[in-house]
Amino acid sequence: MAARPGLAAGSRTCVALLLCLVASAVAAASAEQLARGRYLVHAGGCISCHTADRDGAIPLAGGRRLETPFGIFYAPNLTPDRKTGIGGWSDTDFSAALRHGRAPDGSPYYPVFPYPAYAGISDADVAAMAAWLRSIPPVHNPVPAHELPWYLRSRWLMLGWNLLFFDPQPFQADPARDKDWNRGAYLVRHLGHCGECHTPRNLFGARDDSRELAGNAAGPDGGKVPGIRQDREQGLGRWTLDDMLLFLELGMLPNGDFAGSSMSAVIDDNTSQLTGDDRRAIAVYLQSLAPLDSP
Amino acid sequence: MRQARLTVLLTLGMLAFTGNSTAATAPTDAIKYRKAVMSAMAAHTSAFSLINFGRVEHQDHLIAHVDALAALGTQLKVLFPAGTGTGDTDALPLIWQEPEKFGQLVTASEKSTAELRAAVAAGDKAATMKAFKAVGDSCKGCHDRYRKEDD
Repeated sequence: MAARPGLAAGSRTCVALLLCLVASAVAAASAEQLARGRYLVHAGGCISCHTADRDGAIPLAGGRRLETPFGIFYAPNLTPDRKTGIGGWSDTDFSAALRHGRAPDGSPYYPVFPYPAYAGISDADVAAMAAWLRSIPPVHNPVPAHELPWYLRSRWLMLGWNLLFFDPQPFQADPARDKDWNRGAYLVRHLGHCGECHTPRNLFGARDDSRELAGNAAGPDGGKVPGIRQDREQGLGRWTLDDMLLFLELGMLPNGDFAGSSMSAVIDDNTSQLTGDDRRAIAVYLQSLAPLDSP
Repeated sequence: MRQARLTVLLTLGMLAFTGNSTAATAPTDAIKYRKAVMSAMAAHTSAFSLINFGRVEHQDHLIAHVDALAALGTQLKVLFPAGTGTGDTDALPLIWQEPEKFGQLVTASEKSTAELRAAVAAGDKAATMKAFKAVGDSCKGCHDRYRKEDD
């Protein structure tokens, strides 16, 4: 009898210790996951579009106006506000939105949101991005409705677009290429979605991947977007790897000019925030893209 | 005597004419000059970075490039006179719509270039690296706000 309370106390301590251990293990894993999620949200370029283009705008609270040939879109609020943001979304909701272009109610998004590129993001990366976005402070910021011509006002039309142009495929590493190249391919083609601006689009606004990254005469905001394959005139054929690294980190072109406009936001919010290894991977991958227009 | 007087008059007239034409610079020439100064700044920035990031030697040239940058940088504020926002230029109308904000950004870029110059003069590599990034950010900041990107 005398031994029982002791035993019970001992096992209680054991249980408490075990719980502490488990809890701290979970906390440690999630701190790591949050850091990773934060990094990936930057690498995914989420901030450049989902932050309003004015001084003092709160990052990721939405409202940026995107003028496209199909109408004017306003990027939604990605903070976890329940009314105006993505508060309350499950991992499944987030994954469906990111990789399949579907809202939690099942309705399709417009492909101005780069889900065709994001379709290749890995499960672990999607989960980490969702975890970090859930952890940032919620901001109540209602975003204006898109201003679209009458024939594009129903999002459900995009089911047809998806049928024609959307073929989600997970990223497949190419075993014949090295680690840098594969990491670069993942960053350029999927997470960083470079092709959404640098690849021309067809009449329906779908990327023409036969001219992947060869430049786009009708980029966002009406500007011309340069090619980033190895073409010497319309591409990066004259750039060295070091030129690319410096550009991705600082925004400086080889001639000493500094990028402005859409690319300056990409540099500030995305490429300058990457590790040196990831910038190198991007450059290595881009250097492998054969020129299309010049020998 | 009469001929001499005529020569004097003619010369004075020509001088007056030349004086007039410099007072009223053609906007096309003002734009051309602005672009030339901007290109010169870019060229010095490019040369500076090749040395700074160890891709060429010539450490001793660093100060020349940053001196030039600092000197040219102080000219920026007079390179955007009224009437030079149209024609062969990528400058956006916002420059003339918010002269105060534009002036602040130009002053900030002068300041960051002066800091870069001081870091180079002191031979402080870490400070030079940091200051160069700041100069780049000030270039980028203005281009982002005030320059149309077309290519």
